[in-house]
Amino acid sequence: MSTTDRRLSSSYHAPMHWVLALVVLFAGLQGCSNDSKELVKEPAAVGGPTLLRRITESQYRSSIATIFGPEVPVVARFERPLRAHGLIAVGTSEAGISPFAMEQYDIAAQGVADFILAPENRASYLPCVPAEGSSIERECASAFIDRYGPLLFRRPLSDEQRERYLGIIESGTAHLGDFYQGLRYALVGMMTAPEFLLRVERAVEDPDRPFLRQLDSYSKAARLSFFLNNTTPDIQLLQAAATGELEDEQGLLKQVDRLLASPNFEFALRAFFRDMLEFELFDDLAKDSEIYPAFNSEVAADAQEQTLRDIIRTLMTENGDYRHIFTLAETDMTRALGVIYRQPVAPRDGWERVPLSADGSRIGIQSHVSFLALHAHPGRSSPTLRGEALRNIFLCQEVPDPPPDVNFSAIQDTSNAAMPTARERLSAHNTEPACAGCHKVMDPVGLALENYDGLGAFRERENNALIDATGFLDGMSYEDAHGLALALETHPETPRCLVEKLYRFGVGRDTVWKERAYMDYLISLFEQAEYRVPALMRIIATSENFFAITPFENEGQDRLWVSTNKRGGIDS
Amino acid sequence: MRVIKKSRKNRQPSLLVLFLASFAVHAHASNDFLRNGVMGMVISHIEFALAPNANLASNCPNGMTLNLQEIYANTPAGKRREDETDQEYLKRLSSAGKKLGRSEDGRDFCMHPQLADPEPNFHSVVGSQTAVWGLNLDGRDSAEDFSGVDGESGIDNQWYRTVGCSRSFQPNGMSLSFNIAMLTGSWGIVLEVKGVDDLRNDDQVQVSIYANGDPIRLSPSREPLSYASYSPDTDERYWTTVPGRIEDGVLSSQPADITLRSEVNSMLLERVLRDARVELTLAEDGSASGYLAGYAPVESLYDMLYGYRTGRKFGGELAPLALRSNSANGAAFVLGHTCHGAYQALYANADGHPDSETGQFTSISMQYRIKTLPAFILSASGPDVVTTGVVAAEITRGDAHVNH
Repeated sequence: MSTTDRRLSSSYHAPMHWVLALVVLFAGLQGCSNDSKELVKEPAAVGGPTLLRRITESQYRSSIATIFGPEVPVVARFERPLRAHGLIAVGTSEAGISPFAMEQYDIAAQGVADFILAPENRASYLPCVPAEGSSIERECASAFIDRYGPLLFRRPLSDEQRERYLGIIESGTAHLGDFYQGLRYALVGMMTAPEFLLRVERAVEDPDRPFLRQLDSYSKAARLSFFLNNTTPDIQLLQAAATGELEDEQGLLKQVDRLLASPNFEFALRAFFRDMLEFELFDDLAKDSEIYPAFNSEVAADAQEQTLRDIIRTLMTENGDYRHIFTLAETDMTRALGVIYRQPVAPRDGWERVPLSADGSRIGIQSHVSFLALHAHPGRSSPTLRGEALRNIFLCQEVPDPPPDVNFSAIQDTSNAAMPTARERLSAHNTEPACAGCHKVMDPVGLALENYDGLGAFRERENNALIDATGFLDGMSYEDAHGLALALETHPETPRCLVEKLYRFGVGRDTVWKERAYMDYLISLFEQAEYRVPALMRIIATSENFFAITPFENEGQDRLWVSTNKRGGIDS
Repeated sequence: MRVIKKSRKNRQPSLLVLFLASFAVHAHASNDFLRNGVMGMVISHIEFALAPNANLASNCPNGMTLNLQEIYANTPAGKRREDETDQEYLKRLSSAGKKLGRSEDGRDFCMHPQLADPEPNFHSVVGSQTAVWGLNLDGRDSAEDFSGVDGESGIDNQWYRTVGCSRSFQPNGMSLSFNIAMLTGSWGIVLEVKGVDDLRNDDQVQVSIYANGDPIRLSPSREPLSYASYSPDTDERYWTTVPGRIEDGVLSSQPADITLRSEVNSMLLERVLRDARVELTLAEDGSASGYLAGYAPVESLYDMLYGYRTGRKFGGELAPLALRSNSANGAAFVLGHTCHGAYQALYANADGHPDSETGQFTSISMQYRIKTLPAFILSASGPDVVTTGVVAAEITRGDAHVNH
């Protein structure tokens, strides 16, 4: 069995029907049928630079839960993330850490340390609880560093680092008069160290490819863990890295399948789609309460959760075709959302599965409030913003920014009786030659969603004029939002875009031209896997390209590596 | 160019989808509020139907209603003494007022209003020259009836007569702000109309009136929202279903006894109307405005608005006497009335449901002006099941007839 065969043959054991589906797929791929597609070989690895990637807020929180337990509170305000090349995951390798962010990291670390070292809690978290002044304090300090140091730094501490933090414990104990204050001092130091706050990637020579390097085992473990579980490597993964298991094809597959079967896999899917769908913009979303009185913080939160629940249900629970998220007829709804969708919802405080609309006109996540409200103005809808977002988010088609001197008066005047609908206003606006080019790309797509106002509520008319929701997308014309959904579902760029974004999400950088062959390879396997996203993630996580590093570059991590070794650690 | 028609995806919907879809027919029609002949409503605004342009001088020739302290202050002994400070005088008024509010054996008149002597300082509206809001409930034009603001005659609104000279019922008076309690979620009312074939004219519909089991859903600026989901109160005593009709876009229900919830000072109370009916003018957007009107039993009305004798805690047990008594006396002081004066006036102005033995009227015509917004009314049998409307609510028409 080839490597590719194995990648497709089994995966993610949690839902049984899911596995059965892959078995059926595997059987088909074995060549029993004449029309079965031939498996392709992974192109030669290309690789990228090693990166210093700042962990995101969700990764910070999940890391604390992985290391100490989900009950440990993380109380802090995290800095606004940076989005680059369409993803925050890529922005993490370009973002710095401001003094404000360090202050908040310090607050969060102190909160965690206070919790786990509190007299009533310490026995649950510490390897030993010596009496005050006990002679075993040094042994206990060593055990503490050995337990939590590797988990926090995602690799064993160097001797210098270990001695440094032991010294901090001793110093803290002496100055503060309490052993547990010494532990607290060291723990806060480790949690505010770059080795914890940044994913420090390190590369080693690749014996099989003289002109290429690959991530070292611990960096592989971290990349795998954050990609498949959105959290720091657990003890088993670090042990696999320590024993060289990740360098072995079978060992790697075993760990990947374990991570896919973990409950944390859902968190990884959620993190990716939250990033892809730009949900961080909800933090700044404002709506005119006179025009959209139903919008509030509850709606904003529920709208995001609704879309994520539909995605998780389709892609993970049902192991469904990714493209079907554009044509889902059912959704989970809360009462707060029901006001906007005009749907009854029975549970007072929970979720209920309901049709998005009874007549089928409203289908797919692009007709959710989370998309329609996010890509609209505070007081009106926007075919342009929605068209741009549809192309950018789901098709990876970038639309240039508007020129600086655009006259928006025609579009903004929604009370002009001569132009009652957005289509007419945009038509007037597009007489500007400088605008027309891009609007031709965006507007016909977004106009199909004009039956939904700036919050996402259905409407037949705007200013008493019947809305014309016809449109077209890259050669496909349609009559309404339902047609747009089908166009998105069948668009050839839809799966390609997901593949590219998912890969970028995993490696934390934009793809390069040389990786086109690898992208084509992934897309081909994605198609053979019937567009199952967990299967795609398994393929990515077990491919050589995923861990490949370009050779001989003077990268940031190398400088950090030299620095930490020389000084025995970074000032904390 | 490839053309995508409106054809729907050929997928097998789940049973749940089919079931819920049946509830959501016409989901995107202009009359979204009417689905499968069912129309849900939540009362979004409620106020007492009073007189919009009352002339106090002619309506209240005997002056305004007084509270105990004011009554005492009007006596020779209640005049302020020259050497008395503000604080001392107020203290003396309060002490004397409390004494006036009790029987000789020390029983609180708010709790025992029937023990008090006739109270001359609770003034009712004299005559019927003022135009009031409301409906002609009994179909007659009696001497005590008012004319309506639109010129119609025979408006039964003895509640207005009772409170028209009370200062807390004047424009912006404190007794008019009970709508706020509804908006804070203390209580609420939902309606459901079933069997609607035609929103303009339908001679046979079914109207249900429920106490709302959920707080009303509001916008950030505290405005009620359309199309929210509500479950009726789980207690069937707060459900009433009666036949109704729609004529020229006006929905009216046949009279029936209804009981709804109220709340004062964390005490649960009941809003009872006998032979109650709704009359609502339906608007194209699913909203409606009109009246909830009927006859409030004097004893229960007194308990709801004045004496709180039957106030209960959320566990169902009677609230502590101190809470009921202090709330009633405090309200009387602040709102400017006496408990026993109100009690006597209510009976004096009562015009409905005469006692079969004494002939004494036991209820008083009382009307609310209401506005409604479209809403989804869910099963009264529990929060986890969606139904298309009323479940097993029996028609609870009152047996008593209104006589004059």
